[in-house]
Amino acid sequence: MTNISTRIIRTPAMTEPAALLRLLAWISPAFPTGGYAWSHGVEWAVDTGEIRDGATLRVWLEDVLRHGGGRNDAILLRHAHRAAGDVAALTDLVELALATQPSRERRAETVGQGNAFMAAAASWQPEILRQLAALAGDLPYPVAVGALAGSQGIAEDDAVLALIQAFAANLISAAVRLVPLGQSAGLAVLAGLEAAITEIAATTREAALDDLGGCAFRSDIAAMRHETQYSRIFRS
Amino acid sequence: MSAAACLSKIRETHQRANGSLRLVLKRRGADTVLDVLRQDGCLKARFPRPVDWMEAVTLNSSGGVAGGDRLDWEFALRAGARATIASQAAERFYRALPGDVPARLRTKLIVGDGAAVEWLPQEAILFDRAALDRALDIDMAADGWFLGVESVLFGRAASGEQVLTARLADTIRVRRAGRLILHDAVRLSGEVASVLHRPAVARGGAAVATLVHVAPDAETHIDALRDAFAAAPGEAGVSAWDGMLIGRIVAGDGAQLRATVAAGLACLRGGRALPRVWMC
Repeated sequence: MTNISTRIIRTPAMTEPAALLRLLAWISPAFPTGGYAWSHGVEWAVDTGEIRDGATLRVWLEDVLRHGGGRNDAILLRHAHRAAGDVAALTDLVELALATQPSRERRAETVGQGNAFMAAAASWQPEILRQLAALAGDLPYPVAVGALAGSQGIAEDDAVLALIQAFAANLISAAVRLVPLGQSAGLAVLAGLEAAITEIAATTREAALDDLGGCAFRSDIAAMRHETQYSRIFRS
Repeated sequence: MSAAACLSKIRETHQRANGSLRLVLKRRGADTVLDVLRQDGCLKARFPRPVDWMEAVTLNSSGGVAGGDRLDWEFALRAGARATIASQAAERFYRALPGDVPARLRTKLIVGDGAAVEWLPQEAILFDRAALDRALDIDMAADGWFLGVESVLFGRAASGEQVLTARLADTIRVRRAGRLILHDAVRLSGEVASVLHRPAVARGGAAVATLVHVAPDAETHIDALRDAFAAAPGEAGVSAWDGMLIGRIVAGDGAQLRATVAAGLACLRGGRALPRVWMC
């Protein structure tokens, strides 16, 4: 018996030069979303010794990307990008994105960055985000980035790659400070995650909202236990 | 016999199970009593006498769940009704045949004004190559009270069963006063054994559970739950926000998982004993 399934592969649209400049600005570590304050549970995993060098960091982050927050952010960004002209659909997406957060600090992490992203994007006429915030309140980060990227000519695939890479780079920089690791060891981890990041971008292209979820159970537990960690410098 | 003929033979002999159960409970004086009961196919329920806090036990007479099976439950608690719903036994999910759609299980809980419901099924035991698509939808009033747990065992280590591959979608959704406040989704398909070995997944644990409590005072129990989990054999975390308490548990095997789940439930159930079916 042959199982025939039709897969619709979108031709990746090009991002125009001016739009690419916007994406580079928004996703840069210098863009004031406050990303440096959040560790997504990495601080707990370093404290317990699970993350102790480049190799253990890379394995942990690959799980978070493939089975946890990274993949979910990619799916949320894609759906927000497609709904960029539809505030009602975006409002539903905000509700869903918040409901998928597994802990108090993880919710604060996505909302803190999403709200800061909207404020920092003021020079780029983020009208869609203002309308959305007026209706929905707090903005989860991948929904905010997706909605603005979709309304300003940034190709969906490019926005996904940029967001997931920035997410990984941010957690690496947290680990570089916490373990501590040398700068070059951190960069080697980032280089080693290239395949995972491009695969997540490719495999989320046709993902439905029902595909949200995952199985990074111990990453969730790390974020939960971080709430009572004795000595902490990150907010998640 | 060719492989295809053999497969079609298996198909003929594998009977798809279908069942649905609808139960409405209401408050009468101090008691919670049955208002509507509709049972179809392989699903049934039984009840002890009407009491202040009713205990309903669900049964699946199909002898385990296979690919293509379809089971639906709906439990509605009218204003002020209070009940615990438990399953008679852990449910077994057998190997799905190639090309089978996953077994589809849907449970809907409707929690009226001031009503309280506990959803305490026993574990879902997945066998190698099982395919399960399960969803629990809770639709509750603003002042409703809900406590529930969904547990999954990937094989039973004591019986030497190992789950190498499987397809699992396990979703818990909570709507309170119409607003979606929780969409907790386990999505784990493919090489399950190797994924479970990953450090941020389960580090080799073969049993997982998610505990959800939603109530006006749910957040006040977090310290007690943290202490209970810290003393339990499984690895667990708990967090609270927006009138919700969420616990995530990973354990090496079913016994450790159950001990950890039971320790967590004990903090949240006002001293009531676990359903008797849990003790067997």
